Amino acid sequence: MKRGETSLLPLEDAREAALFFVVGALCFLAALAALTAKSTYGAARAWTAEVEGEYTISLSDAAPQDAQAATLLVQSIEGVEGARLLSEAEISALLEPTFGSRGLPADLPVPRLIAVTAAPEAGDIGRALTATLETAGYTAAVDSHSAWAGDVRRMLGTARMVAFGIVALLASTAIAVIAFATHAALLARRDIVDVLHIAGARDRFIARLFERRFWLLGLRAGTVGALVALASVALLIAIARSSGNRSGLLPELTLDFPDLAILVITPIIAGLASRIAAGVTVMRALKSVM
Amino acid sequence: MTQLRPDIFDEAAVRLDAVTLRYDASGEILSGIDLALKPGSFSFLTGASGAGKSSLLKLLYLARAPSTGEVSLFGRPTSRLTRDQLSAMRRRIGVVFQEFRLLAHLTAYENAALPLRVMGRKEAQYRTDVEELLAWVGLGERMHKRPETLSGGEQQRVAIARAVVTQPDLLIADEPTGNVDPEMGARLMRLFIELNKRLGTTVIIASHDLGLIRQVDAPVYHLANGLLARTSPEPGKTARRRGDGIEIKAEEE
Repeated sequence: MKRGETSLLPLEDAREAALFFVVGALCFLAALAALTAKSTYGAARAWTAEVEGEYTISLSDAAPQDAQAATLLVQSIEGVEGARLLSEAEISALLEPTFGSRGLPADLPVPRLIAVTAAPEAGDIGRALTATLETAGYTAAVDSHSAWAGDVRRMLGTARMVAFGIVALLASTAIAVIAFATHAALLARRDIVDVLHIAGARDRFIARLFERRFWLLGLRAGTVGALVALASVALLIAIARSSGNRSGLLPELTLDFPDLAILVITPIIAGLASRIAAGVTVMRALKSVM
Repeated sequence: MTQLRPDIFDEAAVRLDAVTLRYDASGEILSGIDLALKPGSFSFLTGASGAGKSSLLKLLYLARAPSTGEVSLFGRPTSRLTRDQLSAMRRRIGVVFQEFRLLAHLTAYENAALPLRVMGRKEAQYRTDVEELLAWVGLGERMHKRPETLSGGEQQRVAIARAVVTQPDLLIADEPTGNVDPEMGARLMRLFIELNKRLGTTVIIASHDLGLIRQVDAPVYHLANGLLARTSPEPGKTARRRGDGIEIKAEEE
């Protein structure tokens, strides 16, 4: 259509308003699912990276000076970047969820804990830590957190797959809905299509009219859906921050560049999906007439 | 009633060879139709409602393919054309429908210019021509009105303007006077005759208005029971005759 010319298709009607709502809602859900998948992936990487290079050494029946000596010994082991003996206050804080804020019972045998950070390129130093401490005569248990990290990885991997599955399902649903709506629009405007066809319009010419209409519809509906998703995420972030979000178990609630890219790409994908679905539907319908 | 014989004109604008048409499992709407019309001829098609006039016209303006037989236009068998070639051939045909089939959201001017837009012409190239054409059909003052604000006769004239705006080689009109009063019907008929005379357009008009048909001395083909027959004038008797300024070229064989 050239500038100033009236479109050969009439302005959208109630059916397209309903379709606009459906596509917008699907885009909102798809954007939300994509943001969830992305933030879950980021959280999984951050959590596992955080715990995979760390070890906790538990020394039973060790006097304070023995624990200090063991810490110095650990610091000398190859591959150890840092080792620190946890204070009684820190241990009390760790056990606070179990024993409350009034401190630990005096007769409770609490082990000494050494927090060890491995050098990034060191690999698994758990066995070296255990062997060195046992050779030195300590009764020590080394926790590499690997079992917990593995559970987190598996759980987040599943969550990520589910989120991607939802995105794929929503996208394919949106395309199917658009294809169905295009077909309905074509049937409703059969008279116009017939007049254009008889006037000598090529199939591509007619298809382009519907492609242009549904590209704009998908783009606009997708933009609205993405903006609502953006507002929803911003609201979630605000709520999480106001409540402190101390659990550390929620996925990262941020809006960084990849998140904004998802929100920008969603309407474009919706527009393209609408355009392609419209084009294919119209071309297929036209092939059924001479 | 004389059965039409398969007159074969090499240069026929319209030629039907043993054409039959049936919809789905129903019986034949058209049976073994043979027809040949010379370029620049003017013909009528009559028949009772449901006789198949509109179906025959659909074959001619390439909205349907025959079940058997061949439809050739301008010397080319249409069954061998690609979809793009069919579109190009449709651009050489103007069609006037009984129910007008104007696009309600476009003005009279935009409706008349529709085939030119379809052909990819720029408005600057055709604006003057379309305005002159609409003035010629008596709509110079109302060209920017939408169809809903025009009378039946005015809408029909817009439809005629749309049909002839590309100066087609073939003009097909399906009951063009069916929705207008007799006076307007006569005016529209004079328009068709003038088109035929001025542009040499081959004209086929389907109508059951015998009074209107008698005003024009042109061949009349009658459809009944799926068969096409020529009823007036008698073949041969009107050869080289002129009536109302129309040369009955189909009679010259």
